[in-house]
Amino acid sequence: MLTINNLSKRFGKVVAVNGMSLRVGRGETIVLMGPSGCGKSTTIRMINRLIEPDAGRIIFAGHDIISLGDEALRHTRKRIGFVFQQFNLIGRLTALENVMLGLVMGGMVKEAAYEKALSAMEKVGLVKFRDQKPSELSGGQQQRVGIARALAFEPELMLWDEPTASLDPMLVREVLVVMEELAKYRASTMLVVTHELPFALHVADRIVLMDKGQVVEEGIPAKVFVKPASDIGQRYKELIEYQMNTSALTLAGQRIA
Amino acid sequence: MKFIKRLLRDSFERDIVILMIVSIFVGSMLASSVSLTANAYFSKTLANIVGDYGEFDLIISVREEMKDDAVIQIQKIIDDAFPGAKLKEGPTLTGKTSFFVALPDQYKTKKIYEDLGKTFGSIPGGAGIGFMTEPRITVRGVPDGAKNMLMDNIAQMEGVRFAFRDGGSIGVLLTSLDKATAVNSAVQHLLKQYQVIEISFPVGSEPSNPIRLGETIADDMRQELKLNFAQNVSIDGKNDDMTYAVSTMMELRRFLGAYASEVTVTPAQGIVLHKGDQAIFQGAASDVPSAGQAVVQGNVVVEITEIGADGKGRGVITHGDAGQLMASAGYRLEKNLIGEPIGTVSYRNPRRELGNALNETSKLVAQIPGFAQDARNISNIGLGVLDNYNSGMAAIEKTLGDVQSAGNIIQTSTAGLADIDTSSLQSQIDSSSRAMGGLIGTLEVLKLVQADTGGPLESLSLTQRNLNNLKSTLAALDSAAANARKARLAIDQVVASANSTMGTLRAFDSNGARSSLTDTNNRLDELSKINVPLVTTQLGYMAAAAPNLKDEDISHTVQILDKFIAGQVIPGERIQILTTSNINTNAVAPIIFRQVGHENVALYSTALGVIEPNARGELYRVLGEVKAILAGLTAIVVTAVFLVFDHTAVMSVMRRRRKVGVVKKTGYLAALKRFVTGLAVAEKKYGMAVGAIMLTAMFIFAGGGIPYLPWIGVPVLGAFIGLVIAGACEKISPVAAEEVVAGEALGMSFDEIMREIVIPASRPGLFQKLNIRKMKFR
Repeated sequence: MLTINNLSKRFGKVVAVNGMSLRVGRGETIVLMGPSGCGKSTTIRMINRLIEPDAGRIIFAGHDIISLGDEALRHTRKRIGFVFQQFNLIGRLTALENVMLGLVMGGMVKEAAYEKALSAMEKVGLVKFRDQKPSELSGGQQQRVGIARALAFEPELMLWDEPTASLDPMLVREVLVVMEELAKYRASTMLVVTHELPFALHVADRIVLMDKGQVVEEGIPAKVFVKPASDIGQRYKELIEYQMNTSALTLAGQRIA
Repeated sequence: MKFIKRLLRDSFERDIVILMIVSIFVGSMLASSVSLTANAYFSKTLANIVGDYGEFDLIISVREEMKDDAVIQIQKIIDDAFPGAKLKEGPTLTGKTSFFVALPDQYKTKKIYEDLGKTFGSIPGGAGIGFMTEPRITVRGVPDGAKNMLMDNIAQMEGVRFAFRDGGSIGVLLTSLDKATAVNSAVQHLLKQYQVIEISFPVGSEPSNPIRLGETIADDMRQELKLNFAQNVSIDGKNDDMTYAVSTMMELRRFLGAYASEVTVTPAQGIVLHKGDQAIFQGAASDVPSAGQAVVQGNVVVEITEIGADGKGRGVITHGDAGQLMASAGYRLEKNLIGEPIGTVSYRNPRRELGNALNETSKLVAQIPGFAQDARNISNIGLGVLDNYNSGMAAIEKTLGDVQSAGNIIQTSTAGLADIDTSSLQSQIDSSSRAMGGLIGTLEVLKLVQADTGGPLESLSLTQRNLNNLKSTLAALDSAAANARKARLAIDQVVASANSTMGTLRAFDSNGARSSLTDTNNRLDELSKINVPLVTTQLGYMAAAAPNLKDEDISHTVQILDKFIAGQVIPGERIQILTTSNINTNAVAPIIFRQVGHENVALYSTALGVIEPNARGELYRVLGEVKAILAGLTAIVVTAVFLVFDHTAVMSVMRRRRKVGVVKKTGYLAALKRFVTGLAVAEKKYGMAVGAIMLTAMFIFAGGGIPYLPWIGVPVLGAFIGLVIAGACEKISPVAAEEVVAGEALGMSFDEIMREIVIPASRPGLFQKLNIRKMKFR
């Protein structure tokens, strides 16, 4: 489905992505993890060329995205859904119009786009909020609209750029639930950048750990987080253990103070 | 090319072009409306005060308290002189009430306008008349003497209805307002072709006759400097009769002054004379003047008019005559009373000298007929001599020819003699003679022997004698040949000498001399026709009359002339010469100094005149400028507003696209590079281009104009506004980058992103309104 070879990107003197390579199979759910600034978001944004790579190849459905012209790129982008950390909803449009926007701009007649958007809204449980403006929705709802907007295209590949990072912890769940549902039915291939360890443990087919712009370890969650081969993996393991312990102790009523 | 292609498609670029067209249209309308509204307001306000532009032709100001009487009189004059004219009472300001008069077109003539002062001269209340006819221009500062010339030239210009005298200026009525600029330029051009050279005389150095002096200087300028035009314009040429009268009076004054007695007062010891002092002399009075007495009949009074460097006073006789100055001792005269001794007097009486000269001349004239007759006699003698001369010359030439012929004959005659060998012949004759002599001796001996030999002996003796005679003859022949050669030589010398003399004589132009003598005779004939008695009588009369003119008569007459001349507008301290502008005062100065007689004058070059927009026209011109300024300012504001509300979003997008992925470098080199290339970034180029195009177009369509801002400055100003706004575009109209990214992620094109995301979210403006028709989600 997606093959990334030696992908690189520099911002001035800063090397954001340094020869990163990755293969993603159809229907697979890949969670990309790593410390802040390791190049996860840059990588995921380079896949649909929201950021132009400096070098490397991105083969999607048999085509090198980097060499595509404007028209072909726009066509390809319609096959790749993208969920932003900041939701990136169009403020002047209603929730439903946000979902319809891409469809209509892609040439679909409004009526058909409406039906399709409504269906996407149903998937994220927001039909009753369809006429609300983004500013009238909670962060979780906005992100769900963003998810519905990406889903409306029925994309072959879904890119998730820390979809819960901007959310209130209480709202994270509603988004993760939607994501889990999507993963469960394997409607599309998913490449998710997140710090949500439970989500990764629970949903990811593979965990890809990045550090300093490179993939340092990848594998199934049980391998990466139980027997990590990298320092990053080790630190994630320790974090999981810490969270589990503190949660258990808390639930047992044994707080430190 | 790509841009053109995109323009042809339904692209965002085309949206921008349409926006700009609409913006320019709306902006121009707005700027025009604002300026026209303001202009209409001010014009209406002005029109309420002084009527509409061109509505009235005359403004008559009268004292407020007399306006009731004045309006009746004005109406009467109008009814009589200008039937159909309209009268309107205007505002009263500072105690003066204005009345406006609109004249029917047929009364707008040069003559009527120049006579309006007289026409409305009877209005009570100290009426003053001004012209309001429009369109009109006024040329002021034109020397009086140049006005006619200037008016004639202006009247011939296209667009000029007529030119007229408007007080001290020249008013020029135009056929239509649209000709104003052209006529203005033409008049300016005409004025630039000329200059007025002003010659200013300091007090005391004024010329006696500035009119004549000015004309002389102008003549010299034309002749010596080869100028096409130079004219004395010191005085008003319209009143030539008075000009000539005044000029004549000036000449008369100068003439009288020249023949007034020149009195010199040598001050007594300790006396200092001053200009204006009066000295009294006994004159023909019986008594010597004594202190404390008044002037009596016969006294001579001298007024000192000039003090010389030697302290002597020179003056004129104001009472009495120089002929009465017997005793030379004089006294100061103060308040008509005789004072202290002042000095002695001497004088020179030019009139008496003139009389003497005339008497001598009349004597000379009386001799003219005699002189003429004598001269004619001499002339006739001369003609006779010339006749003799010619015949003498012919005789001499003939004699010379004869002599030369004689010489030739002599030479021919003696040429054979010269070839004969007379000496050999003489020698043979001698031999023969001697032989005969021997024979004769022999025969004589024989005769003694034979008597019958006597015959032959005689015959032989005769032959011998003949031979001897022949020898003598041959000797004489020899001498004759030599003499003939001498004679020939002498003749040749005579002929050569005579020919030389004849050559000299022939050089004398006897015909010319004859012609001169003939002319002389003719002139003498004319001279003889002179009425000598009449001339003699007149000269005698003048000789008798000149001294009869008394000094006091002269001084009083000069005073009267001075008073009259002073009453005329003839500035004695200034001469104005109108000439072409291609000569400077330095070139003219030598002529002026020479004619004036000194260099104590100041020379200036001034313009022939200055175009003075009339107050009303100026007011409307200012209103026009205000209109243009308002239009320009509105265009500037509208351009800035349109840039802010419609284009900052576009510029922000450009900036964002330019900045994506770019890391700001630090260091002074990077800062310098940013500064240098700062103007070339996309959003600034866009802002400058849009600003320049919109402002320039709005200026053109709305008739904008900002003082001191040249036309080339308009696009520059527009570009500057665009540049400034572009620099702050993201602050003015921030673009929701995440929305743009979302659009890109959704596969939307740039046009779609701009139309659906950026412009709808931008500042509300014209672009938003226009964009609605392009939006799919409105």
